[in-house]
Amino acid sequence: MAEVEVRDIRHVYDPGTPDETVAVDRVNMTLEDGSANALLGPSGCGKTTLLQIISGLLTPTEGSILIDGEDVTELPPADRDIAQVFQFPVIYDSMDVYGNLAFPLRNGGVPEAEIEERIHRIADLLELGDLLHSNPSNLGPELNQLVALGRGIIRADTSAILFDEPMTDVEPSRKLTIRRRVKEAQQEFNITALYVTHDQHEALTFAEKVAIMRDGTLVQYDTGENLYQNPVNTFIGHFIGSPGMNLLACDLTRQDGAPLAQIGPHSIAVSDAVHSEIDPDWTDCQIGIRPSSVVVQKANPGESTDDYLPATVTQVEMVGGFQIITAYLDETEVAVKARVAHDYAIEEGASIGLRFPPDDIQFFHQEQAIRAS
Amino acid sequence: MKQRPWLFLLPALLLVSLSAFIPLITVINYSQLTILPGTEPYFAGLENFVAILEDEAFQGALGRQILFSFLVLITEIPLGLGLAICMPKEGPWVGVCLVLLGIPLLIPWNVVGIIWRVFTRSDIGVLPAFFDWFGYSYSISSSTFDAWWTVLVMDIWHWTPLVVLICYAGIQAIPKEYYMAAKIDRASPWKTFRYVTLPNLRGVLIIAVLLRLMDSFKIYAEPFVLTGGGPGSSTTFLSTYTSRMAIGGFEMGRGAATSLIYFFIVILFSFVIYIVMLNLGQGAGGDQ
Repeated sequence: MAEVEVRDIRHVYDPGTPDETVAVDRVNMTLEDGSANALLGPSGCGKTTLLQIISGLLTPTEGSILIDGEDVTELPPADRDIAQVFQFPVIYDSMDVYGNLAFPLRNGGVPEAEIEERIHRIADLLELGDLLHSNPSNLGPELNQLVALGRGIIRADTSAILFDEPMTDVEPSRKLTIRRRVKEAQQEFNITALYVTHDQHEALTFAEKVAIMRDGTLVQYDTGENLYQNPVNTFIGHFIGSPGMNLLACDLTRQDGAPLAQIGPHSIAVSDAVHSEIDPDWTDCQIGIRPSSVVVQKANPGESTDDYLPATVTQVEMVGGFQIITAYLDETEVAVKARVAHDYAIEEGASIGLRFPPDDIQFFHQEQAIRAS
Repeated sequence: MKQRPWLFLLPALLLVSLSAFIPLITVINYSQLTILPGTEPYFAGLENFVAILEDEAFQGALGRQILFSFLVLITEIPLGLGLAICMPKEGPWVGVCLVLLGIPLLIPWNVVGIIWRVFTRSDIGVLPAFFDWFGYSYSISSSTFDAWWTVLVMDIWHWTPLVVLICYAGIQAIPKEYYMAAKIDRASPWKTFRYVTLPNLRGVLIIAVLLRLMDSFKIYAEPFVLTGGGPGSSTTFLSTYTSRMAIGGFEMGRGAATSLIYFFIVILFSFVIYIVMLNLGQGAGGDQ
């Protein structure tokens, strides 16, 4: 296995024509040796293009790909030792499962005895042992995708394996099993892997680090926890998490020297840690808070609600183990989503208090996160 | 209301029965009769069939037909497939190629025969003049060999474009991921053709082979115009034989029996080829 470095990659389709599109724009990332990575982003953000550049199916307009420090940008896929699993299972259906698994080895001139040994090892790992002599066209998309995966990892010299939304054709009920076997294979062989998907759940469960792309650029490449807790901008904040981060446009004021976010008539304190980073003259500011961090209190007449902002519930949704409530801050048009326990008794139209703990608030200026230095 | 589906099928059934069932049954009926001009037809049983199967002219025509169809298939299918693979897959040349390929298909059969007749005329034809340079005396009216290969080349010129178009459509429908995977799996161009292109074209190739088999069995107008079935009966194929029997010879009974035999031969060949091709190379172990 190997370290794969993506250096300043830029790719333009149809350059010089009216259809010119920049698919990937100056992307830099390093996939560490043996690491599981995911590439996440909305459809059309350049994920597949980047993947094909890494595997060598596309030559980038600019930039280079390095495998273990060696520049392979100009090498064809066959000489890069990178395997790729496609969106739908690519199977050579004139051969049985054994023939499919043996195909890349035979093309590389590996002796038959070694081929057989490797096939049995892979078949055991992927639980395909009983199917080696079946015709793949009778097996269905899930097993075919496993055969395609097996073909990817069977070569002893595979540097990395790339997955291009491999679960698209897989029935939802089978996804978990297939994903588990993919993950087991990745760990067993300590394969450097890059898994493209637009499903964040899939990305976060497969990968140690997730790269998020938007409009051809790499927005953040980080661990799942960091993406959730410390998004670099509002896009990541909203994109990661279900539902995403609440992003509330605010004005800035100052009270006793400390910056205060102002939403309509309501003031919200910002964490002390970022005070020095905030300029009170800024406009286009947002505060972000995860629905799970919002504290909800039912309004009881006479009870002190100093820290709580008054709000009115407009929607209550049951999402399995918990409920998501949507409430509008009173005297504003600002909606906030909050997560409460599944048995929390609340109804649409109820008046509640919402509290945003200062340490859980992210502050964004012009969509970029402001962090403590 | 159980009959309602049949009501909707009725127009189609009527049309099919007018165009196929009734003529077919009429032919079956005729084949059992001896029909001579000026007399009442009378029942002959299988006599017509026996007479035809024993007729040396029929056996000759059938032999020539099988040879001709065989040569047509082994030339046109690989040639058409090869051309389809070489054709540009995108860009302005696609349209140009498609139009050029479409031209022979748009020309009526007898006109194709006439065009080639002009090509081969001894006085003004381009082919005799061309072969004259090499000192070869080309003549389709006296040389069986010349007549044969000219009919064959004419058919290839006329019908290979159809095979190209069918294969081209099939190739365009193969997902490009297959080719990407083959590249990643280090497959050579030959192996890519053998394990990606060819298996994915199985369906369209079956269609192309069956169409060309059945059409080549039916070849009539072109050789009729070009060679008139000669020299001698060297380019007389089954259809020419059948029409001579039925129309030229006024033997409707014999003609009908010939048509039926002819019909069953085409069905038999098509069926065998269909079954063989369908099972060809399905999920085998792959070569070593």
